[in-house]
Amino acid sequence: MILPGFEYRKATSVADAIALYNDFEGKARYLAGGTDLMPLLKYRLAAPAAIIDLKGIEELKAIAAIDGWLTIGANVTLFELKNHPVVKEYFPLLYQSLDATSCETLQMRATIGGNLLQDTRCIEYNKSLEWRAARGFCLKMGGKCCNVVPHSRVCLSNYCSDNALSLVALSAEADLAEAGGEKTAGLEKIYTGSGSKPFVVEPGTLLTRIRIPLEKSKGVYEKLRVRNSIDYPLAAVAVAMKKSVARVCVGGVGPAPLVYELAGTDEGTLRDAANSASTDARAVPNAILSPAYRKKMVGVLFRRAVQKVLREGA
Amino acid sequence: METVKVAFTVNNEETVLQVSPNETLLETLRERLDLTGAKESCGIGSCGACTVEVNGLPLRSCIVLTSEMQGADITTVEGLNREGKLHPLQQTFMEEGAVQCGFCTSGMIMTAKTLLDKNNQPTQKEIIKTISSNVCRCTGYKKIVKAVGEASKKTA
Ligand SMILES: Cc1cc2nc3c(=O)[nH]c(=O)nc-3n(C[C@H](O)[C@H](O)[C@H](O)COP(=O)(O)OP(=O)(O)OC[C@H]3O[C@@H](n4cnc5c(N)ncnc54)[C@H](O)[C@@H]3O)c2cc1C
Ligand code: FES
Ligand code: FES
Repeated sequence: MILPGFEYRKATSVADAIALYNDFEGKARYLAGGTDLMPLLKYRLAAPAAIIDLKGIEELKAIAAIDGWLTIGANVTLFELKNHPVVKEYFPLLYQSLDATSCETLQMRATIGGNLLQDTRCIEYNKSLEWRAARGFCLKMGGKCCNVVPHSRVCLSNYCSDNALSLVALSAEADLAEAGGEKTAGLEKIYTGSGSKPFVVEPGTLLTRIRIPLEKSKGVYEKLRVRNSIDYPLAAVAVAMKKSVARVCVGGVGPAPLVYELAGTDEGTLRDAANSASTDARAVPNAILSPAYRKKMVGVLFRRAVQKVLREGA
Repeated sequence: METVKVAFTVNNEETVLQVSPNETLLETLRERLDLTGAKESCGIGSCGACTVEVNGLPLRSCIVLTSEMQGADITTVEGLNREGKLHPLQQTFMEEGAVQCGFCTSGMIMTAKTLLDKNNQPTQKEIIKTISSNVCRCTGYKKIVKAVGEASKKTA
């Protein structure tokens, strides 16, 4: 499969990357590991005039535990992060979601920044141009209706980042650089809830760092998938537990992760919370498993994950 | 499109090329350098048939730009054979019959090589975890896992 034409530029600093983005009048895409972007380009789901490679930006490659935060540069690979001693010791949840992401070869190339900003997915969207043109363009491609739920006015394509769920459960924050300066946002605030435009960040904004409060936590990640390697989540639940307060994040279903704080961990509270998470999950026939099954599994994985944390303290 | 000048090493040979910015490493290897060992199967990063070794790590060359390879040290399956002698993995893949149609084989071998280079006594579990990055449509996984295990005995 041949890539479309574009210019290639390698940025040397954050400011340089943003300046290059502006030079191409916004018709550019940032490139980290390319494991999400390259397939999109091959399918003609993006047609930038330029690709701005971020891999030469040294400051985005660092991991540091300072001032009560674990600060992770956006270009750190999933594999490096997974094998970092602080991650293993403080955030077993993040270790598990990193380990469950695609496969090790891809983890060695894929970055955490790219993982969080990966595009949402749908069986009607991640297809070749010929296939999509024959079918008719959907909402996410600029068409008038959704090809999965014909009368839907919103796109419910799935956000499939495994690690976003862990990071949201761990109350992580994202540092974002724009031409005007830098700002910080709680990670759960970067989602629009619409699959057509999944992120609130302005075009050209660069994710520079992810920061997690450096407090030890217990955690469990449960992911539904069919092959157990290489494949995206079809539903997933991340639980982080600090001082007997559980923060649960549900994803892989719909365009944004959903967060829940458990008021208690007794059986009744857990059952009710799992049931409402299952009710909230907006599963539609846009993945390889049926919506009814994925919806039900949200509740099952929710209970399973919380019970595992309570039992094993893993 | 402005062409990009890249210099890298392929199988110990210094290579300098002027490439189109949208050329993938797989295209460069197969079409410019006649190294057709790495295969294009899915073309979108899913299967691992195009895996080559770059700076000691396995890389899916169908979703990487050659422009990104400045300064890289690349090894393809053609580079495993030294002075006519096959790499232990190539040998054991033949002996164990770990090849059916052969389309996934070079990717499997390159992925396994990066494991054995770091850990020459992998457990069965570690072999399976590494190999699970690659798809074999003929589903000959058992023999592939066995072949990697046998090769580890020869490299130990
Ligand atoms: C076969 C296959 C299986 C996969 N399975 C999974 C899976 O199970 N779970 C999962 O979570 N993901 C999966 N992925 C998706 C992908 O591999 C990961 O999300 C990966 O972490 C993306 O990182 P990257 O560095 O390759 O991103 P890229 O492709 O380089 O970038 C992704 C997006 O983010 C933008 N971007 C990257 N860095 C920045 C930055 N610093 N600032 C602003 N924008 C930026 C890019 O412009 C692009 O739009 C899979 C991919 C493949 C090909
Ligand atoms: S051909 Fe590159 S991963 Fe399938
Ligand atoms: S031997 Fe045919 S794909 Fe593996």
